[in-house]
Amino acid sequence: MVQTALPAASQPLWIRAAWLLPLALLPAVAGLPGEPASWSVPWVAPLGVRLGFAADGLARLFLLLVCAVGAAVLAYTPGYLRGHTRLGQLMCLLIAFTLAMIGAILADDLLLLLLFWEATSVLSFLLVGFEHDSQDSRDSARQALLVTGAGGLALLAGIVLILLAAPGLRLSDLAHLDPAVLEDARFQAGVALVLAGAMTKSAQFPFHFWLPGAMAAPTPVSAYLHSATMVNLGVYVMARFDEAMGAIPWWEVTLLSIGTITALWGAVQAPRERDLKRILAWSTVSALGTLTVLIGLPNELGALAFVAFLLAHALYKAPLFFVAGNVDHATGTRMIDRLRGLRHGMPATALAALLAGLSMAGLPATVGFVAKDTIKAAKEVSEILWIVEGASLLVSMVGVAVASVAVLRIFFGRPTHPAGHAPHEGGWRLALPPLTLASIGIALGLFPALAEPLVTDAARMISPALTRSDASLETEWLLRIESFAVVWAVGAIVYAGWNPLYRILDRLRFLDSAGPAAAYGAALHGLKHAAGVLARGLQARRLSRYLLTTVAATVLLSAPWAFGLNFQPPAAIKVDGAGALVGCATAILGAVLAVRARDTLQRLLGASAVGAGSALVFLFQGAPDLALTQLAVETVFVVVAAVALRRYRQQQGAGAGVGRANAWRAGVALAFGLLLGAVLLALSGRPLDPAMADYFLAQSVPYAHGRNVVNVIIVDFRGLDTLGEIAVVMFAALAAWPLARRLPLRRKGL
Amino acid sequence: MNAERSIVLETTVSFLYWIMLGAALWLLLRGHNAPGGGFVAALVAVAATAAHAMVFGVAAARARMPFSPLTLSALGLVLAVVSGLPALALGQAFLTHWWGELAVGSMALKLSTVLLFDLGVALCVWGALGGFCLRLLGSLR
Repeated sequence: MVQTALPAASQPLWIRAAWLLPLALLPAVAGLPGEPASWSVPWVAPLGVRLGFAADGLARLFLLLVCAVGAAVLAYTPGYLRGHTRLGQLMCLLIAFTLAMIGAILADDLLLLLLFWEATSVLSFLLVGFEHDSQDSRDSARQALLVTGAGGLALLAGIVLILLAAPGLRLSDLAHLDPAVLEDARFQAGVALVLAGAMTKSAQFPFHFWLPGAMAAPTPVSAYLHSATMVNLGVYVMARFDEAMGAIPWWEVTLLSIGTITALWGAVQAPRERDLKRILAWSTVSALGTLTVLIGLPNELGALAFVAFLLAHALYKAPLFFVAGNVDHATGTRMIDRLRGLRHGMPATALAALLAGLSMAGLPATVGFVAKDTIKAAKEVSEILWIVEGASLLVSMVGVAVASVAVLRIFFGRPTHPAGHAPHEGGWRLALPPLTLASIGIALGLFPALAEPLVTDAARMISPALTRSDASLETEWLLRIESFAVVWAVGAIVYAGWNPLYRILDRLRFLDSAGPAAAYGAALHGLKHAAGVLARGLQARRLSRYLLTTVAATVLLSAPWAFGLNFQPPAAIKVDGAGALVGCATAILGAVLAVRARDTLQRLLGASAVGAGSALVFLFQGAPDLALTQLAVETVFVVVAAVALRRYRQQQGAGAGVGRANAWRAGVALAFGLLLGAVLLALSGRPLDPAMADYFLAQSVPYAHGRNVVNVIIVDFRGLDTLGEIAVVMFAALAAWPLARRLPLRRKGL
Repeated sequence: MNAERSIVLETTVSFLYWIMLGAALWLLLRGHNAPGGGFVAALVAVAATAAHAMVFGVAAARARMPFSPLTLSALGLVLAVVSGLPALALGQAFLTHWWGELAVGSMALKLSTVLLFDLGVALCVWGALGGFCLRLLGSLR
């Protein structure tokens, strides 16, 4: 693909102004009521599916994130991919993704949710695979699609089960669910499947591996999908279900354990990476695990902490992804080993990184601190296992270290770049979006009261018991600071020892060959391998093998049915006259010849003798039309086949076209013959209902003016069938046309 | 064209071809009241075409057919469909056949859309199978 560098001014207006669209939606979204409101119109009436949408505080918060980060991403992308020939395509996909996210968040009907959910999966596939010239990009896109697509199927199955147990259930009904429904096994199974689907989307262990893989996407895509929006869709659904499902015993345990494992796994993997974007991706996995744990916490403060952390995470992680993109754009690498002291050339990006990093580390006067504080408060009032507590401490420390890497290591210290080659900013489109989002994070940290109505309304949708006084985000941070000092100190030590830690954790390489990602790779490889074996087994490229397979499959599949037939051989088979006897004898002799003969031409003659013999039997048993047709078919077939065979041999040598019999083929042939014979005998032993025959015999002349009832049936009574049949004859000939194009030269013995 | 020519075959087939086509026509016309009909007629015509192709070559046999095989087949299908249309015009079900008598001198000729339908069957099968036979033989020169 040729990428022509276009000057920025030649970018179409819609690309340059696309970011205004989500921005314009922001006031509308902010004006949504905090209390539940819903509206719906009938859609697929026979299935009871409605276009039902609902908005409440939780949806409002998610929508604000989608629109705010969306505006930032749409403003950023034209600057980041300036001159890319398919920039317009990427912008379209991003806008479509924004709409799909809005739909998924507002959807009230479960099936509507599924629809938008799948749309985000497909769009994510297209976005991750945007640079489809690269193998890595295609593999990552496929991985993301397969994992989240499988999750979508689980979600579909779950929704079907839930709707079976509770017909017409909508998401807004979950708040006042009939307790009897909760006991329903189908409902619980459905909820488990929905949970599994949500976990694939939110990259929970063991489905987490697609998220770091998806870093093959262009950076704005990662900033949008993989930090703030799509991956949050899973936790959004979990949060929606949480209040009602609290009564199910396994719900909270599952969320707590899976969330803890995910958070830990991400924290352990992050220091193993040298690519800044992948480090951020693993820390996102870790954060998603923490969010799941917070949903699983049984008390009201857990809901508050969940919402606060969700907001804080989006406000620092998206800017950090933008920062990684800016660094990549300016220096051509994201490897942290090669980046030092970038603050000189990129002051605005450095400032954005600093603000976002402070928030990620949870330092006071940032929204990250507010979130950490609510998390701590939530954990203090819950009785949780020490392992969850310990894990969250560890995760926080690694978070501090990752933030330090993203800020201190890259932007401070002595620049490694020679003078004159200093990297520089890429214009306002690259600098402003991360700076704006990070600044909002700081503003909300300084004045938590600004975020309070938003966060409280959202949390109350998860835990209605939450009172406004509980939900205060104001913290006397000077009093709290000591409890975080440990985390910061240890985080600083982790940062200082980042390189030794890397070498130590590199010994965990065995995890790569045993983890879920390896299992996915093995499954994909196995699938391809199995498909190859199957295809090579079935596609033998030899007619005899195809026939053998088809006939053997027919025998195997129909044998059970044949054994079940009421096998009543007719008391006596009546053969009228010597003619029919001669026909039978001819057929039998022909069959023996066909089996015994070595030469294919002789076999052909034997087979045609069977046909001619049957024609004789038909003739003397009162079916002259059948006899005539049989004879004509036999004649044409034998003559043409014989000539074709003879010419084939002239062309290919005398031995051509001589097949060898073997025991396997004989066995299959015998079984097929026995099966057909048995079925025929069983069927002819049954009494025939004469009603149809009598009707046709009686009506043939008066209705259809014909004495040949067979022909009258063909052309008149069942004329439409015949019309279809001759069409089939024509299409079959057309389909066989290419087969007779040219026979391949014989290479080896047949 | 076949490398080994045979005077006997060539002479026989050159008139046998027309006899076979005549037999096909006869089978077609008598089909409604006696053994025969469009399908059998078509098979006999296919045999004639195949015989001609074996002796005089595929191109010659194809030239002897009234149209190219595919056209012939499609024409047959169209005829069969057309035979059902008068019934539609009369408000009856599709393919309800229409019978009429035509007086030619003292003879009463029975005409019907059935014959048109059967002719369509014959042409369609002749074109499809005959064309396939020609193609098979043509691939083995």
